[in-house]
Parts: sequence; structure tokens; C-alpha cells
Amino acid sequence: MSLGKKRMIALLIIIAAGAVLGRLAVRAALNLLLGGTLFGGNFL
Amino acid sequence: MKAKERRKSSWLWGLAYAGAFIASFAASAAFKMCYDPLAAETAADWNDAVGKVYTDIPYGNGPANMFDLYVPADGSKDAYGLVVYLHPGGFTAGDKAGDEKILKWLCAKGYVAAGVNYTLFSEENPDANVYTQSMEIKESIPFIQAEAGRLGYKLDRMAMAGGSAGHTLAMLYAYRDAASSPLPVKMVFGAVGPSCFYPEDWRVFGFDKNYGAAAGMFSVMSGEDITADMFGSEAYENAIKKISAVSWIDENSVPTVCAYGAHDKVQAFEASKRLDEALTRHGVPHAYIVFPHSGHGLQNDAKQARLYQDKIHEYLDAYMG
Repeated sequence: MSLGKKRMIALLIIIAAGAVLGRLAVRAALNLLLGGTLFGGNFL
Repeated sequence: MKAKERRKSSWLWGLAYAGAFIASFAASAAFKMCYDPLAAETAADWNDAVGKVYTDIPYGNGPANMFDLYVPADGSKDAYGLVVYLHPGGFTAGDKAGDEKILKWLCAKGYVAAGVNYTLFSEENPDANVYTQSMEIKESIPFIQAEAGRLGYKLDRMAMAGGSAGHTLAMLYAYRDAASSPLPVKMVFGAVGPSCFYPEDWRVFGFDKNYGAAAGMFSVMSGEDITADMFGSEAYENAIKKISAVSWIDENSVPTVCAYGAHDKVQAFEASKRLDEALTRHGVPHAYIVFPHSGHGLQNDAKQARLYQDKIHEYLDAYMG
């Protein structure tokens, strides 16, 4: 696999991780204030 | 030379990775904060052809004693159903203006809708409590009926509704005051409103281990002088009954739709089980919807939120016409 391809895959993984962590951060903050579980229920 | 270029390229890719992470993190967080899967369900395409709003109509002597009235543009019916929606805010904050969206939605469905303000507990109003607030709501209903009549909308039935503190006040009117209401109360719906006050239920505040703290808070909420040794006695039941919606439920109570978060940190989820149990025991038609992953904001269970919406629709159609 070329270096460019590897870098693109890494970029996609980082974007996906950022998206998941972003929503989890908001959910965690809301849960802290209001109560709730970090996982389960709606993903969005 | 080649090594220098490779270092520069690596450095640029590092920047790209960091930028991509920050951008996707921020976009995802912003989307999570703004996304409401049911927004379209309760949004009315509001214009003069749908309805009209009359704001800040007084109903009592206090500066907070005002209501907003949303009337449908179609004034041709012989009679209308009234839906009163009471705002949240922990009995200490909030305003009817915050419920504009749901009030417009109710009005677009053909009901006369009213948002009512009540005197909030504060340093300026230390004597305000759940009971005085519930009595203000009771006081407002004849004024709402009269104002609607003056505008040409005869009311012949009503539903009570609200969120959190507003839900508590809505339940108190629906279960405690319905018999003396100038309009027949047909149903009540709402979410996350405290329905009764037993210290063992209020573990979220540690009241199950600290009866003194429970007595203090329940005294402020009820306006009664409640002491820790009263819990479990008839004297306590009598003192708290006036703000305990569950205590007023009997076989004549109105159909109910209610929603609660199983992980609520703001009020006692356990107390809502007593509400469900009382409604079941007395054979009152009701939908008790638990959001298993959510807290006070009912924020983590879209499926349950849809069910709650569907039940409100179903009950409004069945009992309010």
C-alpha cells in the first residue's frame, strides 16, 4: 500500500473518531447535568 | 534534500490530521446539540392563516399573573377545546414564551392554547411555592375562558399539560381541581414532573439518607412546616397532599400521558412509578412512558420520544376531539 493511501485511511479513521467523540462529549455533558447513560438509545 | 521534504510533508499531514479531528469533533458536537429527530412533528408552519397570538393577558394581581393565548384562524366552530401548557423551570425560573413552539403546534391542531406564567419562588417572592403556584393556575382558568370567549372562541373542554415543574402543576389541576373547573378537564399530558414526595424516592438528592434535608425542601415546596419525624405519618400525608398529584388520583381521574427518564438527576424517577401504580390501580386510561437511557431532558431515547409524541396525538384525538 502506498504512503498516500495509508495517510488517507488514517485521515478517515481520525474523522470518524472525532465524530464519535464529539457526540459522546455532548451526551456526557448533558448526562452530567440531567442524568442518562453514555451508551444505548439513539446514536444521533 | 529529500529527507527535509519528507519531514515537511509529515508535518503537514500531522496538521491535516489534527485539523480534521477538531473539525469533525466540533461538527459532530454541534449536530448532537441541535438535532431534534421530532422537530418536524411539533413544528407548526405558523402564519396568520393558522392562528393568532395574544400575549401578556393579566389574570391576577401579581406581576407574573399573565397568560398568552393562541387562537386558531378558523373561528367558525361552535366550540373549541382548550389546552393549557405550563412551562418548566424548577418552580423558580422559566417563562411561557419558552413554550411558543408547542403552543403554536397545539393551536395549529385546532385547539385554543394557553401558556400561563405563575409567581416563581425567588428572593423577591420567598412565599411562592408549588401550592401557591398551583392555586394561581387554578385562578387563571376562568380568565382564559373569558378571554377566549371575548375573542369569539367558546370553550367547552380542556386538557392540562406541561413540562417538569409545569407538568407537576398540570397534574395538580387535572387530579385535584378538575371537579371545580369551569371547563370539563378531559386529559393531562406532560413529562418529568414530580408527582409525589416521599424521601425514599428522592435518592437523587440523598433524601433517603437525610430526612432533615428532605423535610426542608418539601417544606419550601409545600409552604407547610414539615419536620423529619413526620415522614411516614398521616400528618405528613395531610401536609403534603396539596402538592402531591398522586394523592388525588381516583377512578374519576382524567386520562394521562406521561414520560419520565429512568436516570433523572433533577427529580425522583422512583416517584413516577407511584404515579403509574396509582393510575393503574384506579383503572385510569394512561400511557406511562419510560426513557430507559435518559435523564430529565429525555435526551437519549428517540424511539421513546416518538412513542410519547404518538400517545399525545392519540389521546388528544380520543379525548379532546
